[in-house]
Amino acid sequence: MSRRRATTLLWQLAIGVGFLVYWQYAWDLHDKVPWLVPELFDPYFVSKPSDIFAQFLHLGCLQTVKGEWTLPGSAGFAACMSKSENNLWAATYFTLVNTLWGFAWGVSIGFALGLLLGRSDRLSEIFYPYITAFNSVPRIALAPIIILAFGIGDASKIVTALLVVVFLVFFNTFEGARSVDRDHINAARLLGASEWQVTRTVIMPSTMAWLFASLTPAVSFALIGVIVGEFIGAEHGIGRMIIEAEARGEASGMMVAVFVLATVGTILSAGVLKLQRWLLRWRPAEQRQT
Amino acid sequence: MSVAASRSRIDVKGLRKTFAAPNGGGGREVLAVDNASFTIGDGEFVALLGPSGCGKSTILNMVATLITPNGGAIAVDGQPVVPGRPMRQVGYVFQKDTLFPWRTVEDNIGYALELAKVPVEERRQRVAEAIRLAGLEGFAKFYPFSLSGGMRQRVSLMRTLITQPEILLMDEPFGALDTHTKLDMHSVLLSLWEKTRQTVLFVTHDLGEALTLSDRVILMSARPGRVKDDFRIDFPRPRNAVALRETPEYANLFQRIWHSLGEEFAKSHGAQEAS
Repeated sequence: MSRRRATTLLWQLAIGVGFLVYWQYAWDLHDKVPWLVPELFDPYFVSKPSDIFAQFLHLGCLQTVKGEWTLPGSAGFAACMSKSENNLWAATYFTLVNTLWGFAWGVSIGFALGLLLGRSDRLSEIFYPYITAFNSVPRIALAPIIILAFGIGDASKIVTALLVVVFLVFFNTFEGARSVDRDHINAARLLGASEWQVTRTVIMPSTMAWLFASLTPAVSFALIGVIVGEFIGAEHGIGRMIIEAEARGEASGMMVAVFVLATVGTILSAGVLKLQRWLLRWRPAEQRQT
Repeated sequence: MSVAASRSRIDVKGLRKTFAAPNGGGGREVLAVDNASFTIGDGEFVALLGPSGCGKSTILNMVATLITPNGGAIAVDGQPVVPGRPMRQVGYVFQKDTLFPWRTVEDNIGYALELAKVPVEERRQRVAEAIRLAGLEGFAKFYPFSLSGGMRQRVSLMRTLITQPEILLMDEPFGALDTHTKLDMHSVLLSLWEKTRQTVLFVTHDLGEALTLSDRVILMSARPGRVKDDFRIDFPRPRNAVALRETPEYANLFQRIWHSLGEEFAKSHGAQEAS
């Protein structure tokens, strides 16, 4: 490890630990030095690390309210899991699965539409005003309508995520489909490619490069879509967990959910980034992330 | 003459092409090719030589069905050429690098076979053979971005040659390469062609290249492109791309054509100054 890298890591660690310590203990000093500890750090709003960790163990069925450990595999863990239908693990699972479905559908539909309109001047001309109009609507504003139409089950979350993702992917694909190198198309034709073969072997792979560039933001967007959907009405999921904790005035519960979301979001982004790097392995390394 | 007696493969008659003048140009048109006519016989290697902007690439692209002519006729093997409908027996090598960047060397070379649904086993053998012929052993799994310009152009050449085209159209394929790589490519092309003897129409502005490779040099005038002269190049084959350039015969012919070509370069230079 280089010296520079070591210094960076040390700083990062110091900031993280410093922040946690401040969060845990600073409120005790509020009365003495109010300018150093603003009202916002009232544990009623933001809880504190120790409470959040305890709440995590509780929501995750790892410890009973009395402080008895119920680790996975024990009878207590199984009982807790079956009793609470929106325990931390179930909530994470549903949010994650709905995010991935919304992402997959959004990417597929966005790619198909982008390819179709990007390769047809006529169609893009006709649909142009509608796409512009629809794109200017904040997608999240549609979430309540979607819940109304698709119910409070998983479908509405998937549709919300899909809507958030689809435009992002559509515009990237559209640009990509328009900028396919004419000489690549000519080369393929001269080597005997039919129209469909040109589409499949030149237009699609060359557009894919643009599509891949939109995947990392798309997966974060999908997660946002699902959470908002869960806020408005859901049977389970992390979003619902946040709303429940809020109703109980339980900051620690909300904070657990936020930490779980941060973890899920990081893992999803890292996974997609890895996928994107592999799919774009035919590009020089410095261009693989654009 | 033996070549004249053999059947003609490419017939170009009274070919004409105009382009809209650049930057709007007020609806003016520029005459790029004017009444160009020539015939290329079976197995002939013909260089189409002229200053830049003389319309030689335009002629080639019209033969390749990439550009629609405004007048005249082109026939390949007696069949009239239809724009946008490439002919099966014709192969084309671009000046620009048109390798598919998302395909490895072997997948680029095997592309046409894949389109034609050649069985995997046969495809693998033919691609391996092509890689060997082009001296690209060990690079089969490389992506184009990691290859040098010369290597990319070899892959390009093999991607076209693997279809075994009877007629090969080449648009300044080595124009972007440095002198040494270019000479190297001449050797590769000569050794490949002297075995197979396809009919070749090779566009270039490099007289040395034209003399090294071809049986005939068709000299184009400056814009608008017309056929100005037609030289027969009788150097014995097989040729050595490097040694050939040191023979007195080469020097003689070079000088003769150079004079004629020089006049056209001067004209095209004058035209650029004037415009």
